[in-house]
Parts: sequence; C-alpha cells; structure tokens
Amino acid sequence: MSPRQRQIGAILGLTGPAYAWLALTIFLPLAAMLYCSVLNVSPLIPGPSHFTLQNYLAFFQKSFYLPLTWWSVLMGVWTTLFSFLVGYPAAYALAKRIKGRWREALFLLIVLPFWSNALVRIFSWTMVLRQGGLIDMAVHAVFPDAPAFSLLFTYPAVVVGLVHSYVPYMILTCYVSLQAIDDSLMEAAQSLGAANWTVFRRVVFPLSLPGVVSGSVLIFVPVIGSFMEPRILGGAKGATLGMNIEEQFTVTANWPLGAALSFTLLAIVLLIFAVLYPVLKRRGIWS
Amino acid sequence: MTTGAARTRIDFGTAVAKVYLALVLLFLYVPIFVMAALAFNRSPLYELPFQFDLIWFKSLATNDRLLSAGWNSVYIAVLNTVIATILGTMAALAFSRYTFRGRGLMQLLLLPPITIPWLVIGTAMLVFFYWTFPLVGLPFRGLHTILLGHVALSLPYVIIVVGARLADFPKSVEEAAATLGATPWQTFWRVSAPIIAPGVVAAGLFAFATSFDQFVISYFLAPPGVTTLPVAIYTSIRKGFTPEVNAISTIIIVISMSVMLITARFYKFGGER
Amino acid sequence: MTEESKHRPLKGAGRSNRRQFLAGATALGVGATVLGAPRIARAAGDVKVLNWQGYGTDEAWAVDAFHKATGNTVTHDYYNSESEMITKLRTNPGGYDVVLTNCAWNGLARQADLIQPIDTSKVGNWGDLTPAFRDSPLLNDGGKTYGLSWVWGITAIAYNTDVFKPAPDTLAKLWDASLKKRVALRDDAIEAVSFGAIATGQDMNHPADLAKVKAKLMELKPNVALLWSSEDEWNKQFAAKAFDISVYWSGSALRSKTNFKLPVGYYVPQEGGIGWFDGLAIAKGSPNPDGAHAFINYMVDPSFYVEWETKVGAPASANPKAMAALPDTDPSKGLYGDEAAVKRLQFMAPLTDKEKQDYSDLWAEVKTAFAG
Repeated sequence: MSPRQRQIGAILGLTGPAYAWLALTIFLPLAAMLYCSVLNVSPLIPGPSHFTLQNYLAFFQKSFYLPLTWWSVLMGVWTTLFSFLVGYPAAYALAKRIKGRWREALFLLIVLPFWSNALVRIFSWTMVLRQGGLIDMAVHAVFPDAPAFSLLFTYPAVVVGLVHSYVPYMILTCYVSLQAIDDSLMEAAQSLGAANWTVFRRVVFPLSLPGVVSGSVLIFVPVIGSFMEPRILGGAKGATLGMNIEEQFTVTANWPLGAALSFTLLAIVLLIFAVLYPVLKRRGIWS
Repeated sequence: MTTGAARTRIDFGTAVAKVYLALVLLFLYVPIFVMAALAFNRSPLYELPFQFDLIWFKSLATNDRLLSAGWNSVYIAVLNTVIATILGTMAALAFSRYTFRGRGLMQLLLLPPITIPWLVIGTAMLVFFYWTFPLVGLPFRGLHTILLGHVALSLPYVIIVVGARLADFPKSVEEAAATLGATPWQTFWRVSAPIIAPGVVAAGLFAFATSFDQFVISYFLAPPGVTTLPVAIYTSIRKGFTPEVNAISTIIIVISMSVMLITARFYKFGGER
Repeated sequence: MTEESKHRPLKGAGRSNRRQFLAGATALGVGATVLGAPRIARAAGDVKVLNWQGYGTDEAWAVDAFHKATGNTVTHDYYNSESEMITKLRTNPGGYDVVLTNCAWNGLARQADLIQPIDTSKVGNWGDLTPAFRDSPLLNDGGKTYGLSWVWGITAIAYNTDVFKPAPDTLAKLWDASLKKRVALRDDAIEAVSFGAIATGQDMNHPADLAKVKAKLMELKPNVALLWSSEDEWNKQFAAKAFDISVYWSGSALRSKTNFKLPVGYYVPQEGGIGWFDGLAIAKGSPNPDGAHAFINYMVDPSFYVEWETKVGAPASANPKAMAALPDTDPSKGLYGDEAAVKRLQFMAPLTDKEKQDYSDLWAEVKTAFAG
C-alpha cells in the first residue's frame, strides 16, 4: 500500500464512523426536510403536492421576518461578545495563574451548571432578576430607599440569561487553547524586553485564537435560533426567529415553511462565515 | 528566575485572577443556588418568603416517573458521551493531521446540526426514521434511536472543541517521537493523548450536557411510557411542575459535583506539561 | 468429551431444563391470567391514552378506580400542542386507544383518517350529555360520532382581586392606559386574533377585517408585560406579581384559585369571550376498543367529574348531571351556570390552513412590533 493510500485509509477510518453517523441521523433527514421546504404542503399529508419556492420567498415578502432575523443575529453578536469579555479573562486566569489540582477542579466546576435543566435554570434567573428577586432584595438591603430594581422582561435580561447559558463554551475552549501555550514562550518574549501587554497581544492572544473562534462558533450559531431564554426572560420583548420557526411546526403545521425558514437561517450563518473566512484563513485557523 | 518586582507583579496578577475567577463562578452559580434553595422552599410556585421544608424531596422519593426519567437521562448521557467523544476525537484528529480535498466541506457540514433549531431536526429525524426503520424491521422509537439522535447532536461540539486543542498541537512532538522509533500507536497513546486530553475532556463534558438536557429529540423518539428528565419536566408544564424538579436537579448537581471533585483529586487531566 | 464436560454433564442439559421450565412457567402464567381472574367482567387489557399532561385522564385516583371497575390499566403519552397530537397519531398507527381532540381539531383528525367512529351504544352516559355539545357538527359527521364531548370551558379574563376593586367586566379594560406593563397575553396566534376580533366586534373565527384586528392588537404594546404559554408559567408569574390582568382559561383560573390559593378573579367580558370544548376520540386501529369505550364513558361519569373538579379543578363537564352533582359552594357551578355569560361566548371552530397561516403571520407581526 502506498503512503498516499495508507493516508486515505487513515482519513476514512478516522472520519468515517462520525460522518456515517451524522449522515444517517442528520444529513439524510435534513435532505428530506430540504425537499419538504420546496413543496407546497407537508409530505405527510396525503394528496398531490408540487414544487414551489414560495416558502423561501415568504422570508422576504412578510414584513416581520427581516427585523426578527436582525434581532436574532444581534442577540447572537451581543451574547458572543459578552461571553468573550467575561470568559476569556477567566480562561486566562485559569490557564496561566492557577496551578495544581485546583485547576482541574475549577475546570469541572465551570461546566457543571451546564448539566442543570435549562428550563429550571432560566426560571431561577427570573427569581434573581425580577422585582422582589434576589438582586432587588440585595439592593434594598444596602439602600432601603432605592427604587424597585427589575431587569426582567427587558432585552438585557435576555442577554444575561444567554451569556450565562453559553459562556462555559467560551471559557473552556479558550482554556484549552491557552493552556497549550508553553510558558517558556512567554518568558522568552519577556526576556527579550517585551512588556507584559505586548507579550499578550503579540504572542499569547494570537496563539489562543483557535479557542476563541471555536467558542464563538459554538455560541453564536445556536443563540441565533434560540427562543427559550428570550421568551422567559424577555417577555414581550423576546420575539425571535427561532420562536417563529417553532410555531410553523406546532401551530400552523406548515412544515414546508418551517423547513424553509430553518434553511434560510442556515444560509445566513454560512454567509457570515463566508464573510469572515478570509480573515480566519489568514490567521491559519480554518483551511 | 524572576526579580523581586516581577514576582510581585505575578503575585498581584494571581490574586486578581483568583478574585476574577471567583466572581465568574459566582455568576455561573447564582441560578444554581437559587434553584437548590427553592427545592427546600415550601411554596410550589416559588413564592417568597422562604419557608424551609423537605416536602419536595419526600414526594420525589415516590415520584417514579421523575426518578426513572432521571435515570434514563443519565444512562443515555453516559453512553452518548463515550460514543460521541471517541468518534468525534477521531474525526478531529483526521482534520488536524491530514489535508485533503473535501476537508473544508466536511468541517462546514458541522454547522447545520448546531444552526438548525432542534425542533426541525427532531421532526426530520422522526419522519425519516418512521419511513426507513420499519424497512429493516426495527422500531423507530426507542432508546436506540434516542441515542442515535443525541450522539449526532453532540458530535459537532466534540469535533470543534477537540479541533481547537489540536490547532495548537505541536506536530513536531509527534515527529520527534517517530524519529525516536515510536510506532504510531505508541506515539498516540504516550505523546499525543496526554496533550489533547484537556480538549477531549472538555468535549466529553459538553457532550454529556448536550445529551442530558436534550429535550426535543428525546420527546419525539421516546416510546410511550419511557421518558427522560427534560421531557418529563417540559410535558408537565401545562399543569405546572412542582419543585420536585428542583429537588432532583439539585440532587444531580450535588452528585455530579462530588464525582467530579473526587475524579479531579485522583486523576490529572489538566494537561500539565 | 473433555475432562470438564465429564464433570459437568448436566450443564447443557441443565440450561435447556431451565429454558423448558421457564417456557412452561410462562405458559402456565399466561394461561392463568387468561383463564383466571374470575371477578373481572371482561378480559383485562391496557388502554393507551394520548392527552395533555395533568388534564384529568391521568389522575392517579381515576386510573385506580377505572382499574378496579373494569380491570383495564391505563398508560399515557402526552403532547404539547394540537399539531403534535396529529403527528403522534400519524406516526403511531395502532399505538393509541383514546385521544383527546379539541373541538376545532376533531374534524381534522377525522379527515386525516386517524380516528374511528364511536359506538355510542357502548357509552352508557351518552344520553345524559348536553345536546349542543354532544351533537355538534364539530364532533359528528355523516351520522357518526367521532368525538365524545367531554368538557367545555371558557377563555376569558382573569385578574388579581387584590388589585382591581371593583372587578372590571369588559375586554376593553386590557387597553386601559393605566395598565402599563400590567397585562399578560397568551402566546397563541389563534387566541390573539380571536380576542382582537371580539374587541373590534367581529366574528372571532373568521373576522372580515384582519387589518383592524392587527391594529387593535398593536395598540396593546405599552400594556403588555409578557406572553405566557403554559399554566405553569402563568401561575408562577402571577404569584410573583409580574402582571395583574390577563387572558386565561376558566378551568385553569379556578385551579389557580383552589389549588394554589392565588387571588384570582374571572369574568366573561361584555363584548364576548371564547368558548371551546374537548372531545374524547378513539384512535384508528385502537388495540383495545372495548377498553377505550369504557374509559371515555367513565370520563363523562359524574363520579369521575365531581372528584376531579373538587380535588384538582377542571373545566365544565358536558354532562349536566355531573355539573348538578357538584356541591353548591363550588365556584365552577357559579361560573358555568351563569347563562348570560355563556350566551356571550363564541365557540372555536375549525380553521382552514390559509387562515391559520394568516393568523400566525399577523401575530408574528404584532409580536415583532411588541419587541421593537
């Protein structure tokens, strides 16, 4: 067997199981959904159906889809940004300043809230953010005359809830990247006379970018389609595209439209990646 | 060998780091504390003032549905984590080690599972399995299909997270091992694995979380009578879930925390160099 | 023959002996079950029910009583939306016996060939049911009955009795300028459009002027604090005083008051309210039709209903005898017995796919405006 053939064998052997699994459970069903999205009625309903692009055009024709999508994208941007601002320093602190057993323990503790049930967790946030909730009580304990504090049913509340749900992704992926950076690299730079900030900016941060990018992807992409935190924490302010897609499946039983909206969402995400791709490629993150 | 000034700088930095981490942990755990506290509160509607009562834990002990749901969730999540972590790490290794045509496309294909709302994927899976499984004589609902769905949703996370770790992987180390006469297998186990371990562990933790809290797939593919914890919670929404849910969530968190801390005590996977 | 097999000559035999024993025991057991159980009138079976969780059919005491009376056990599967109910029926032929169908959805299930006619001779309480519900064209077709009218209820206004003294009585109250961020609506397109139609004096099922409905709903923007989607959410938010007045179901309001001791008041506005009724249907291909008929008969029996309403809280029964059997202090009696209020109701009717889509889009536009 030639080295190239051996290599191909290795590639297939390594990626085969995962992708075969994905093909059977996701790609094929989604392909069926794609087919469904260009029909005029759901394929489960007996009777004739025909090809139509109307479901995709609806996105542009109905007045509320564009603002709804824009907010959902913005929500993704804010959540990712704040997750980065909160999470990256935490990852850095954990990777570079904590030594020994504590590091493992903290690493695990950061992930643990993830394992709680999302609905219960988000309801718990309402208990913290609402009038008469934890923060309100704390504020009044210190300043008894302060006006009632309530963050609930506002856009910031949604962002807080989302950041809380997703920041562990950022912390852990950045940690994983930062931790791989050899301390001796930093010391070498310092001994060459670089200030701490320069060391960080020109050595550490660029090397940790794969972690930042992965974390951002894992946060931004699902947040755009999320609806639970927006609904419970945002109240009337919490309309999202994800919610509308759900309604096509639970209320109108219009699967073709729901499917078309989902693929439109996917297309938007891919578009954003296409725009960022040259930047990432230059950094050697993605190839 | 650092000077006194540098050491002070580092100590100050360490102190700041510890404080910051404490704050972040506080942020992460505030709702967890609230959730646990409400498990001990008498009001079924989370009403304050707080009245200590163990009634929810007592009624949880007799709530067979919730208990079996919790057990199913754990069982599926563990299986899911093992499978997804192994398969995902393998794929991530392939992406990192080899360049080949189609690699970009395959990486791009990881996006649909995390972009498209789970309700859509779940419905697609349900219909697809409903059409295809009977053709091979298998029931399309059951623990096996739930597991199929969970692993599929976990795989992208595993591949991306391990991939991030591998991007910083110094390939020269592997090459050095090879020149010193190590077989590929030895190289992997004794050189590569410890280095990528943090990424794999992080990925495994995410995979567990993805499965444990996964509602939609479990909901669609569960046969009647079998349920997982998120499904039991969400379907009780119409009438109202009682703080028994808080009780079981608290128990799970406490158990997981204990298991994790004990594991961390004895097994080092932080990837120390 | 190896040394070992000589010493364990009976191992293989033992195993098959065990297998034979098990087979025999199983046969005996099955035989005993089939032939035995002398006190049970008909062969015991299982009745598989598809319903909302916590909506009467899965009450532990009811399942017990039913089992004692008929020997049938009951297992449940749940759905979270009517659309899901249809999907579950479709992807589970022969998997269910009894299905709960809302009056507006029974026809759809029938047209999709997912439910079968009910043999009313097997339902002893049939004659007692209120004719208006029992014989409704929404549950009957071509002389056959596809849904047994079980309960009916009202969707109208619930309010905090501590806040509103005296009690309001109009729908227009929701638009009151003094109620900034004190109003909650249900996140349901059809319900929202229905109330918008009632508020603008139109037919709630097929309003002629949708633009007017949309404009009316948009006007609510300053007042709406949240959109609730489940009884649980409603209860928790109400208890936390996130809102003071909202659209709500009658049975749920009574439950909130009785069970959770919340200060809930309820009224049907002068302009009108929404009425709905639910019918129990028998799924096509039901594996236990006898058990299914027995179960739905028990569900409309006063013995079940009185206990359900007094213990837990329920919508109104379609069996007037069951309503009469309630104690006079029961708030249900007062509410559903109020004939003037009931006259003001418009009942839910089936909608075409286009109507559902239009209402959904209208509501999406309103929600987007709320969030902006």
